[in-house]
Amino acid sequence: MSGIGMVLNIATTALNAQQYGMGVTAQNIANVNTEGYSRQNPVLVAKQPLLYGGRLLGRGVDTEQVSRSVDQFIENKLMQEKSNMSSSSQMEKYMQVLEGFFNENSGTSISTMVSEFWNGWYDISNNPSGVSERISLYEQSVLLSEQFNALENYLIQLDTDLTGAVTSGIETINKITHEIAQVNGQIVSMEANNVANDLRDKRNSLLSELNEYLDVQAFEQSDGSLTVVAARGCTLVQGNSDYELEMGGTNGDTVTWQNSSGSNVDITNYLTNGKLGGWLDMRDEIIAKNQLDLDALAKEFIWSVNRQHSQGVGLQGFTSITGTYAATNPGAAITSSGLPYQNKVDDSNKTFNIWLFDTNGDPYDSDTGTTGLQGNPITITVTSGMTTNELVTAIDNGTGVQASLDSQNRLSISIDTGEIATLGSLAFSDDNSNVLAAFGINTFFTGSSAGGIEINDTIRLNKDFIAAAQVGNDGTMASGDNNNALAITDLQSATMSISQWTCDRINGNIEGSVNSTIEDYYHSMVGAIGIVSASVSRDRSFGEMMVNELSTIRDSISAVSLDEEMTNLIKFQHAYAAAAKLIGVADEMLNTLLGLK
Amino acid sequence: MRVANKAIYDSVTYNLGSISEELNKANEIATTGKRINNLSDDPVGLTQSLNIRSTLASIEQMGRNISYGNSWLTVSESALTSVQNIISDTKVLCVQMASGTIGSDQRSSAAGTVQNMLDEIVSLGNTDVAGNYIFSGSKTDTIPFDQDGTYNGDNNAFAIKISKNSTVEVGSDGEEVFGNIFNTLSNLKTALETNDVGGIQDAMDNLDGHFDDISAKISDVGSKMNRMEIKDKIYQDLNFSNMERLSKIEDADIAEAIMNVKAAGLTYQAALASSSKVMTLLTLVDYLK
Repeated sequence: MSGIGMVLNIATTALNAQQYGMGVTAQNIANVNTEGYSRQNPVLVAKQPLLYGGRLLGRGVDTEQVSRSVDQFIENKLMQEKSNMSSSSQMEKYMQVLEGFFNENSGTSISTMVSEFWNGWYDISNNPSGVSERISLYEQSVLLSEQFNALENYLIQLDTDLTGAVTSGIETINKITHEIAQVNGQIVSMEANNVANDLRDKRNSLLSELNEYLDVQAFEQSDGSLTVVAARGCTLVQGNSDYELEMGGTNGDTVTWQNSSGSNVDITNYLTNGKLGGWLDMRDEIIAKNQLDLDALAKEFIWSVNRQHSQGVGLQGFTSITGTYAATNPGAAITSSGLPYQNKVDDSNKTFNIWLFDTNGDPYDSDTGTTGLQGNPITITVTSGMTTNELVTAIDNGTGVQASLDSQNRLSISIDTGEIATLGSLAFSDDNSNVLAAFGINTFFTGSSAGGIEINDTIRLNKDFIAAAQVGNDGTMASGDNNNALAITDLQSATMSISQWTCDRINGNIEGSVNSTIEDYYHSMVGAIGIVSASVSRDRSFGEMMVNELSTIRDSISAVSLDEEMTNLIKFQHAYAAAAKLIGVADEMLNTLLGLK
Repeated sequence: MRVANKAIYDSVTYNLGSISEELNKANEIATTGKRINNLSDDPVGLTQSLNIRSTLASIEQMGRNISYGNSWLTVSESALTSVQNIISDTKVLCVQMASGTIGSDQRSSAAGTVQNMLDEIVSLGNTDVAGNYIFSGSKTDTIPFDQDGTYNGDNNAFAIKISKNSTVEVGSDGEEVFGNIFNTLSNLKTALETNDVGGIQDAMDNLDGHFDDISAKISDVGSKMNRMEIKDKIYQDLNFSNMERLSKIEDADIAEAIMNVKAAGLTYQAALASSSKVMTLLTLVDYLK
């Protein structure tokens, strides 16, 4: 009797096991399109046999566990590649925007405008007294300045956008790490008895998502929980606790992590992968470099034009002129007075001339104190270590000229009709000390950066002050003199030393310099943007290919094949039918036995 | 290898994506006719094309400078030729007036002719191009000569640039060009008025000197015009060769571009066809009842 009971028992375990198998197959079919799902397999084992009638007889089948088809090595590799790809695909996106700013295939490019600027000076040199040439140069210069300003603003905007992206990226990261911690808790409590397959898949997906933002390392602990560590050993998840990242630093633009003792650790420069890595590379290396280089270019361009311009004279002299740059520390040597171009000043007994003219425009002879055709200038010597205050006194001491600092510490020079009543105007020449240009006296541009470049108000208000001419050795001024304009056109092909930056998040921003013309510098800057952009695109496309290949490998191991599941379905169905048949047969056997009379 | 259903769909998405990207690129090149549409398309070529563009802009400017300079030189030449003619006419007059058969009346009436000639030379000396006096040195807005020939200009001839490092004087220092010509004429006039044959002969000698000076000046202007012409020719050649280089760097080979679009299109169509087949293939499900 007990033999038939045994068959019934075995058949029951078989029914259960095949039914369970169908359940797993159903789950697999349902998740055929689920990202990150790993197909599951019921692991069937024969039950421990028992001694029966002196021999061992099996007790049926048991579903020992449901295993996941997963290769953790491939999963990790895939996450890593996804992390790389997100970094380069974010950079590519921003590089395309940057490329657009520097697009040279249009008439509004800086390159064209710089050419037009020099050509404007050529036109003035052809017709120095012409009004329309002056207006045209002025308009051209305004366009050029505005283009510099606009580029600078675009770069600042990109910088801000990137900080915004990092900020919202950190919010997402905190959300993900919080979820991982929660899933950790669930896995630990469930796995006391079972393997929590679906929760593990979910955790893998979360980890993969986290990897798209930053590169992390994850270790599974013996209790089944996952410890997630980011750059510089910052633990993001441990057990069911998570540790948040936040924006910090004085400008709120760095990424910080709070350690167990509560102090903030700046990890910004250690985040090299994932979207965060891409955004930070873009912001702190590429945008930063282009901003610094553009500024360096504008600074040298402004200076070279101003220096030459300050040597000349326009169609009329000044009665009074105020510089555009402030010497914030007038008591200090001019070379450390806070002027943006203080380091250009040569105070080794170099000189500049101030010429005085009477109201008829005849030069005043400062040596003899008379006016006539032959004049002599007041010569100011810039002695070593001379302070701004001393310079003001030196100029002020000249007969017929007044000098002072205005409320903003800008140098102001005017004729002194109190000392010589007949004076009408003054002009400058032969400044080899660079003091005039450094104070922004008789200059063309104001500002000292791409964002700050503008046309000097003096010129904006009166184009006569565009200095195409130079005061002659005898103090004569000729409106047809084009010597200063010609000297300015020389700058087009002049090689100058211009700062060039290397920006690296680990090593910081390092200033170097190149000898180049203004135009060549800009052209190679634009070329460099193209090169970076092309290489980022290549990285992205390579990363995409790697992700695609690894995904195929991953899918070949873990994803669901409907053909396979259908086969399994038939397999379980037939086994189920056979087990049912077993019960039928056992039933008949019992009937046969019970039917014995 | 095991192929999961998801892998089929994923690879269709990826492949169609990368092929359509290629097609788009090929189409961009064919429709714009440019090889370089973005900085990253060819950064090295782009840098070269930027350099060529600024060279072209300078060449254009130099062309403008030259044509501007030429207008000054042409006007100078014609003014100086007129001056030269007046000098030779004056000399003919002198020869007549120095003759013993001429009476004092005729001489004093010739003085009036000389005055006219003097006025004419002063007015030629005050020739301008668009309001700029060409014989007043760099004081181009100052009338160079008073009625009596006093010079108001300066001694720096007006010059323009015809290349990055060479300038050409297109205007002139009037004092140097005209020398004592006004003195000579007014002395002649006085000599005629005072019936001073010796004075007329002195003037004749001086006029020979002036004639030679002006001739030298005219040939100087001529040689400058010649130099400008040669330079202009060089710039035209440079312009042409640079345009050609620019086109080689920037422009797409249209035949090749169209071929590429065709090829990419074909690949795309093939991919679409095979993808649609793969995606609609039956699975085992279709055969199970």
